[in-house]
Amino acid sequence: MWQQIEQSLHTSMGLVMNKIATLLPGILAFIVAFLFFLLVGWLLSALARWILSAVKFDERMSRGASAIAEWSPSATPSLLIGRIVFWCFVTAGVVVGVSALGTSEHIISDWMLGYVPRVMGAAILLLAGNVLARFVSRSVLITGVNLNLSYARLLSMGVRWMILVLTGAMVLDHLALGGAIVELGFGILFGGIVFALSLAVGLGSRDLVSRSLEREAARPVEIPQPEKVHHF
Amino acid sequence: MAGVEITEETKQQAERMGSADVVVGIAGAVSAEDVRVRAERAIGELGSSVAALRFVFTWPGTIAETANGSGEATEKSAITMAPFTPPAQAAVEFWSQVSAHQRAVLALAESLNARACIVLGSDLAALEAHAIQLFAYSILDRQCGLVMPVYPAAKYEGLINSGILSPLSRALYGKRIRNPLTFDFAVSGALCGRLAQAPAAEASGPSLLWPVTIAATQFPQTPIGQVHVDVRHEVSTGGLELSAVLGQIAGSLFQEMERCASHWQRIRGSQATPIWGNAGEGQPEGEPIDAQPMLDSFLLGSKSLDEVWRLVLPPNTLLELRRLTRLMPEQFHMPDELWASIVYDFALAYRLRTIGRVHLLGALTPLYLGWVASYIREVSTLSSSDAEQRLEQFSRAWEEKKPYLLQRWRWPDRFNP
Repeated sequence: MWQQIEQSLHTSMGLVMNKIATLLPGILAFIVAFLFFLLVGWLLSALARWILSAVKFDERMSRGASAIAEWSPSATPSLLIGRIVFWCFVTAGVVVGVSALGTSEHIISDWMLGYVPRVMGAAILLLAGNVLARFVSRSVLITGVNLNLSYARLLSMGVRWMILVLTGAMVLDHLALGGAIVELGFGILFGGIVFALSLAVGLGSRDLVSRSLEREAARPVEIPQPEKVHHF
Repeated sequence: MAGVEITEETKQQAERMGSADVVVGIAGAVSAEDVRVRAERAIGELGSSVAALRFVFTWPGTIAETANGSGEATEKSAITMAPFTPPAQAAVEFWSQVSAHQRAVLALAESLNARACIVLGSDLAALEAHAIQLFAYSILDRQCGLVMPVYPAAKYEGLINSGILSPLSRALYGKRIRNPLTFDFAVSGALCGRLAQAPAAEASGPSLLWPVTIAATQFPQTPIGQVHVDVRHEVSTGGLELSAVLGQIAGSLFQEMERCASHWQRIRGSQATPIWGNAGEGQPEGEPIDAQPMLDSFLLGSKSLDEVWRLVLPPNTLLELRRLTRLMPEQFHMPDELWASIVYDFALAYRLRTIGRVHLLGALTPLYLGWVASYIREVSTLSSSDAEQRLEQFSRAWEEKKPYLLQRWRWPDRFNP
């Protein structure tokens, strides 16, 4: 019996070693593909930055208020584009490397291989959603404060979470996680918010709104007073 | 806005006219008839004192607009009326358009070999005998290169100028100029071409304080003077909110700081500039102004914009601001040094792009209103001339705080409590 156990263990070890041996070329292929794309990405990124710098791209972009610089203030637009080119190639390197790893003896299943682009797409969505949420909420906050809206912070926070929730739903949908539950949940959440607001304004604040409208209608036309403080 | 090129049509017109002693240019759209009437009246009032000088009055327009409509500049006695073709420009901001017209006037004056060029605002408020005489006197007789106006003292007018532009320009460039951003100024013939052709602003944006900045940084030996001009300009903001206009002006100023950093870092202290003419009577004391709305804006900003200010201002300044929010309204006072360091920190954040520039400039407005509230409370009991003295003391605080700016500009990553 002991011999049989020993025999089984030897067979198992042989199988494991066999698997590792077949995996090694795949890993090597992954590393080569990844390094190749890393190098190409680095070269093209440097080339893109050089070309953009030659055509004075940063100066042209900084003229308008809607410049790329506003979205990524700590990096110049050309640096940002250079980074995007670099990371696109790194991503492509990972995808090609993983597919090279997968083709070697089908160690990684097709399902997992097909899932990698989804994960990357979801990561990009998450990143873009976060940047957008931060930018829009800050814009709302500053504009609201400059308009003397006492609820500017609340408004900004609401906008931020709205974008983040929307981003979260899109990411989950992109990853095909949760299936219909995400869509349903998101629809219910949004519908619920709109319905709650409608009820609040339509029923809860009905008297308040009507009183406010009556007051506005009865108010005499105000003649604008000249400003006593001149900033210019 | 590199050097300004005048149009071919204007060049040909300048060649036909030959030369002039004094060019008086209007920097903005205006009616040719209004210019003619006011110019004739002003020169008529000056009488024999300017009889030996040949004046050319110019404004953006077409030759067909002139009185005879014959396509030639009109000449009558000592004055010549000659419109110039305004430069093609993409600028949409109000002050950028004014700057473009001002530079075009200087370029025309250079092509006419004028001895002096007087640039006036398009409301024509300064197109009167006294102002022209003073500007011409300081350039032709006192040999000034650049002459800026000093308007009658008014406590509650031109607060962006008093609170930011004037003290910052003085601390940076070392020239005590009361109104660095202005519609009216005069330039000597020698400086006309240099100012018109100097690359005041690269592609990064227009420069608003360019006459003073260029004269102080590129031609530091140029004598600069000021004259008391008894006029009031009504400045239209084109329906823009305060935050938008403040953003445009402060943004342009910060850009200029970035461009001229190598110059202003070498300048220490400031020089007084001679002032000619008599100061007009200050504005009569009106009703006291309620600073509470501005204080409320500041308090709302400090409550809501903490997360933005934290990215721009050092902890010590934030602590000071928090202390201010806890004061009773009647005790509210923003120290001069605090306001100066806030503006310096914003200039640095603009350079370092700590946050988006539009956001940064938007976040400055509540702080500015805090300073306005503090200033209004402080000067409400003072006369206009005493308020001017107070502004002088205020500007000195900016100069004294300049080492802080230099230190942060050179070593922004150094720990700054």
